[in-house]
Amino acid sequence: MQAVTMATTACGVRLSTQGAVFVKAELVRPRQTHARLLLPLLDHGVRRPRRTVLVANAQSTPPDISERVSESIKKAEEACAEDAVAGECAAAWDEVEELSAAASHARDKLKADSDPLENYCKDNPETDECRTYDN
Amino acid sequence: MATCAVYTTPSLHSCSITIPAKTSSGFHRRQVIVFTSKRITERGGRRTSEVSCSAEEAKTVVIGLAADSGCGKSTFMRRLTSVFGGAAEPPKGGNPDSNTLISDTTTVICLDDYHSLDRTGRKEKGVTALDPRANNFDLMFEQVKALKHGVAVDKPIYNHVTGLLDPPELIRPPKILVIEGLHPMFDPRVRQLLDFSIYLDISNEVKFAWKIQRDMAERGHSLESIKASIEARKPDFDAYIDPQKQHADAVIEVLPTQLIPGDNEGKVLRVRLIMKEGLQHFSPVYLFDEGSTISWIPCGRKLTCSYPGINFAYGPDTYYSNEVSVLEMDGQFDRLDELIYVESHLSNLSTKFYGEVTQQLLKHSDFPGSNNGTGLFQTIVGLKIRDLYEQIVAERAAAVAEAAKV
Repeated sequence: MQAVTMATTACGVRLSTQGAVFVKAELVRPRQTHARLLLPLLDHGVRRPRRTVLVANAQSTPPDISERVSESIKKAEEACAEDAVAGECAAAWDEVEELSAAASHARDKLKADSDPLENYCKDNPETDECRTYDN
Repeated sequence: MATCAVYTTPSLHSCSITIPAKTSSGFHRRQVIVFTSKRITERGGRRTSEVSCSAEEAKTVVIGLAADSGCGKSTFMRRLTSVFGGAAEPPKGGNPDSNTLISDTTTVICLDDYHSLDRTGRKEKGVTALDPRANNFDLMFEQVKALKHGVAVDKPIYNHVTGLLDPPELIRPPKILVIEGLHPMFDPRVRQLLDFSIYLDISNEVKFAWKIQRDMAERGHSLESIKASIEARKPDFDAYIDPQKQHADAVIEVLPTQLIPGDNEGKVLRVRLIMKEGLQHFSPVYLFDEGSTISWIPCGRKLTCSYPGINFAYGPDTYYSNEVSVLEMDGQFDRLDELIYVESHLSNLSTKFYGEVTQQLLKHSDFPGSNNGTGLFQTIVGLKIRDLYEQIVAERAAAVAEAAKV
């Protein structure tokens, strides 16, 4: 059983009911103790409250960019292990750097876009919900 | 009649001056009537075409900003555009992966868009993005010059996610054009076009600490991979990017703090603002007495600071055989009154009212660096750029008035 502690910092938290990942959620208290060892897949037909599985993805990078970053790191390590041409090695790590920067921007963007009211108010500051009074 | 000098290339044959649609910035706008007349003269095989425009020359002020790692200087950009008023946004309705930021008065262009090789191309040739061979400096010069003279351009887009070159987007000439990237001062022709240039110099230790903070949470990254990435890029960086700092009008140097022995977290920073002397529209910030050497610790009886405190230093120096003045801050701000206290003792800030620097820092207190020298000096440079812009505009207006009289 994997236990993932809920991140205390402001991290994006995704709720997902994935079959493969079984996480002890702090919010939902499981009633039967022995059932914790069973995967949710085996719970078919048994009446039990649906478990909320919390996957705390620290800083929540969009998965596709995250994939690219890990792939590029692997490729860079391979390229430099062979020690082919110094240029190839440098180019590969440069790609890693570029993708990591893109991932970091994507994270920031997600954080910035997380509040729909803020986004709406940015474009429509004169509406009633968005009015601010300085005095 | 004022003559607009228009750079002509085989692809640009007409002069067009476009004015951005939004007029909420408070800048006085006049309708520009464009009268084009083409006279094509052939001299020794070279075709020149002259275009005459009536009314004001819509010339843009161009600022260059150089630093490592793509266009992640967005904090600086946001502070800068905030000084001018308004928030900078990516162009609406265009490519969502566009690197351009547009506000009422400012347009920020990412120089990565001038890559001549996309990611696959660079991998094949074994070249990093730092290498000049991966960048099209001719196109960069052509388009920056066109924008400077009030001609809209179709600028390519480099997509950082896919690593490909996307179809171009239209960029209209703004009042202030900022070009940020790895090589704004590399090509001498582009350097000539810049009205002001800034270099962000992060020391290796601080760079390492920041990259760890940025990448450690990323799946796949480890301390070794981060280190390897920095090491692999270092030769190209030292050869092509670093030498640009001698050409910069202002350098913001970020170093590890001297207040905490053995600190490697990179949270408390020592930041130095190196300002070139003798520039026409730029007067360096100073502490107490211009041209003297000062060492100042504001924390004492009037101001209480928490650990590790704040240290200031100011003095003249030479930097790559240029005369400079250096203003240095080590430590961090904790409270509003520390900020305003420091601001009240700095001179030549080009603020429009008392407390403007503090107000700008507080407005963006969520931005990284808002409590140390990076935020402070970025804000100050932003105010200096605003002052430079206003001086240039006033000069041009005076020149037009002179020409009209004659």
